[in-house]
Amino acid sequence: MRLPVATVFLKELRDALRDRRTALMVLVASILTGPVTLVLVAQFVSGLEEKAATLKVRMVGQEHAAALVNFLKRNDVEIETAPADYEARIKEGRLDAVIVVPKDFDERYLAGDGAKVEIFYDDSRTDSGPAIRQAERLMRAFNRETGMLRMIARGVSPDLTEPVKVQHVNTATPRQKGAFLLFLITMFAILSPLLGGMTIAIDSTAGERERGSLEPLLANPVPIWQVVLGKWLAAWAFATGVAVLTLGGFMIAASFYAKQRLAAMMAFGGPEFAQFVAMVIPFAAMTSAIQMLICTYGRSYREAQTYVSYLATVVSFVPLAVMFSGLKDASWQLLVPVLGQQVVLSRVVRGDGLSAQDWLVPSAVALAIAAAGVVLVSRLLRDERIVFGRN
Amino acid sequence: MIEARGLAKSFNGVHAVRSVSFAAPDGAITALLGPNGAGKTTTLRMISTLVAPTKGHALIDGLDAHVQPLAVRARIGMLSDARGLYGRLTARENIEYYGRLRSLAPAQVKDAIARLAELLDMGPLLDRRTDGFSQGERMKVAIARALVHDPPNVMLDEPSNGLDVMTTRNLREVIRQLRDAGKCVLFSSHVMQEVSALCDTIVIVARGSVVASGRAPELLAASGCDNLEDAFVRLSEKAGDGE
Repeated sequence: MRLPVATVFLKELRDALRDRRTALMVLVASILTGPVTLVLVAQFVSGLEEKAATLKVRMVGQEHAAALVNFLKRNDVEIETAPADYEARIKEGRLDAVIVVPKDFDERYLAGDGAKVEIFYDDSRTDSGPAIRQAERLMRAFNRETGMLRMIARGVSPDLTEPVKVQHVNTATPRQKGAFLLFLITMFAILSPLLGGMTIAIDSTAGERERGSLEPLLANPVPIWQVVLGKWLAAWAFATGVAVLTLGGFMIAASFYAKQRLAAMMAFGGPEFAQFVAMVIPFAAMTSAIQMLICTYGRSYREAQTYVSYLATVVSFVPLAVMFSGLKDASWQLLVPVLGQQVVLSRVVRGDGLSAQDWLVPSAVALAIAAAGVVLVSRLLRDERIVFGRN
Repeated sequence: MIEARGLAKSFNGVHAVRSVSFAAPDGAITALLGPNGAGKTTTLRMISTLVAPTKGHALIDGLDAHVQPLAVRARIGMLSDARGLYGRLTARENIEYYGRLRSLAPAQVKDAIARLAELLDMGPLLDRRTDGFSQGERMKVAIARALVHDPPNVMLDEPSNGLDVMTTRNLREVIRQLRDAGKCVLFSSHVMQEVSALCDTIVIVARGSVVASGRAPELLAASGCDNLEDAFVRLSEKAGDGE
């Protein structure tokens, strides 16, 4: 004999899958969003790198700056003459930065009398940032070299002007540099179960009452908790399914970059996918239970939808808050729903090793909340005011 | 056999049902007749275990609805006020769902659906999705769903609401057949003609209390009227005067 829980579970799944429009929308959204975002961001980032990687400056009046041109050429910098309408072009975003040399440059430079150059740019355009910084860096290097040579010529040690030598040691691996990209994946990992569980959570609670099928359903000789358990399992299955599809989309998209320079930044392969799924399954249990709980309070389908979208807003705020507040990792964070998942998933994408505790603690918290949610929904559905509407 | 003993229900100090007692025997049709808001639906909900009585007991085949709700639900088929179907499922799937929830084996469900399809004359509807159904077609599915486990007690809350004349006639025929099959049929209505045409016993409910009960001739005699409608009005008003 089939258990009532299984009967309810199968009915809810079948009902949800028959809702073609919603199912299709969720499916397309979940399969496509990941890859599309990843491709767009990757395009953007690789564009930035390209601009900075080829050492190239645009100049106006380089014929007045023989020493500077000589310095740039020695450093393998390609010099391009900027068109005459460079100012307009910068405003339109067709040029990044232009070094403008005045006529009296060489004269003043040789006299050691405050020679000037101007760097033209529009810093409201983020993608010209690397080119601007490059022009500045080259000019500083030229200054330092000239200064040093002049001091040596006067018998002064150049070390005097540089009492402290600063060396940069960047510990970020290429993968950590890509953390921003992968931050998006954690964001989707956290939001996709909410999207997936939504339909069944609403339809099986507020929707069931609005349709007038709740009262007859509860009149069946089945304990209410078994009905609720079956509905929740269906919502959980859907939430997990959508999350797995979304993450799978990311994995496939990331594999297209495997042979490129970005590969290290896009490391989201089988092992990461498996760790994500392991985190997301218990998390989806919690989000589905909470969605059902708040939807049970909804007086209508519409009202429940509103509550669910509030929940999604609150949840999506957590990863953003972590990113912008610069919260440092601490073990108490694992105990906080959503934050715990966010912290652990970020570690996965950074390529840090996970301990058993990293999985166990957030997942145990999520499952405990899910269980409490199921119990609470069962209680609510025993309440006459909830079942028959409130006055 | 359904028995109500001094059933009462109040919500936040409002007395929806004050005192309802009656007995509905097997093999007979009993009607709860009363104006809107008299407490008929709340009474049926107490009997069907979905609402806990503030006072009194509802006994179904001797089982207390409040004490053994699951056993009672298994012995009742209830067409409630809310009769929503799952629009994306076919009529057959809607009925199957309830059959499985009542622990019937797939073969038993299949037989039950065949039997009910004949009783309700709904064979061609079975494999269509219910979201395009008319009121009458929905009603048939809802009744089939309520009766899939062949319960000894059948309760119908205002069954003819929103139905046209032909469908109502068919419904009456179904109710008679259920009675002839030895079931205890209890239904609520505010429509005089329907009740007088169909019922063995009439229980008149007004303002949450039973004001009179008996066969139609007995009620006429008690009220001193020569038609049931006048008797109903007279008896209902008497209850109001008593306050």
